Amino acid sequence: MPVRFRAAAVAAAAGAIAGVFSPFALAHFQMLYVPESALERAAETPMAIVFTHPFHGGPTMNMGLPRSFYVVSQRGDDAAPVKTDLSKYLQPIEWQGVGNKAAAYRAKLPREVVRSMGDYVFALEPEPYLEKEEDKYIQQFTKLVMNVGGVPGNWDKPLGLAAEIQPLNKPYANWVGGVFSGIVLSQGKPVPFARIELEYVNHAPDLNAQAFATAGAIEAPHPSYENISVRADAAGTFSIGLPRAGWWGICALGVGPSKKHEGKPLSQDAVLWVQAKDMKR
Amino acid sequence: MDRDREFARGRPVAVLVFVTGLAWLTPAFAHAPLLDCYIEGDSVKCEAGFSDGTSAAGKKLSVLDASHKLLVAAVLDKTGAYSFKPPKGDYQVVFDGGDNHTATIYSTEIK
Repeated sequence: MPVRFRAAAVAAAAGAIAGVFSPFALAHFQMLYVPESALERAAETPMAIVFTHPFHGGPTMNMGLPRSFYVVSQRGDDAAPVKTDLSKYLQPIEWQGVGNKAAAYRAKLPREVVRSMGDYVFALEPEPYLEKEEDKYIQQFTKLVMNVGGVPGNWDKPLGLAAEIQPLNKPYANWVGGVFSGIVLSQGKPVPFARIELEYVNHAPDLNAQAFATAGAIEAPHPSYENISVRADAAGTFSIGLPRAGWWGICALGVGPSKKHEGKPLSQDAVLWVQAKDMKR
Repeated sequence: MDRDREFARGRPVAVLVFVTGLAWLTPAFAHAPLLDCYIEGDSVKCEAGFSDGTSAAGKKLSVLDASHKLLVAAVLDKTGAYSFKPPKGDYQVVFDGGDNHTATIYSTEIK
């Protein structure tokens, strides 16, 4: 036991040192978080909007005021999509990540916003974030897809974002052990061999406490498991496995068209959130 | 070997029953009727649809009182919706998805 404890301490120290340097320069994820993405009926929906490293629950980065925050909803295949601006619901908060606190947002979406059955594709265009380590900006166009009542709609329709992941499976209906596929898009066009990162939300978000759980649910056997690297194929399509219940973040790096912001390099990334559930009675 | 024999004896019937069942029930599996109603002002708005995204436009919606007396027989509009003034007392709303597949919601669940 003491030996194992010492090994863990060394690993933690190594992790802390590594955190100061490069690994965390990758693995940024703009979160749009709700506890439940497949609602049986409409209910007030609290959402957390946090920019972090979800496998480690931090460090968490300060967010500027998002440039846009909206939802496009649709009930049924043939119905017209309805776009609703949600920026008035954004409230600045302090989010307690593992190791630090940072400026984030929450949105208490009233029941009226998600009252009809159907799909709800939430989109966030954040203000570019200056990553000081690398002296470059990161801007992650982020989507979260919810459903109310089981009637599908526009879950698979792109919104026309500068950088976007188009799902080929419903992001709100995935069994653990299933496969999830999508297409990486840049201004609506597939991005061959796009570089993709995949991370598990390992520190449970607590909307009331505005914090991540201090303890992670799992431990990675190796750094390459913390932030999993995936490539899209020649058609811009990718597939991932979903080995554990909870939320998985998918991020396609640098696929958007703008490459500069305020004289510095800019990476326009596309993020999509996928929820997996255990098969059980 | 025992398992093989068991399979040889038992499975063909089971498969036949399953396939027959599938032929009858496939529409219900892929095409479950779904219904939700909520209060909007002084009306009740009901919205119907199907689990495969098919429109419920033109399908039937009924409002029944506690003794199953038909109060309203309506046809869903092009968005699959119908609004009505709620009757006094308990009632239920039934969406008829066709082929005897219905979805029902009770007034106590409508908020």
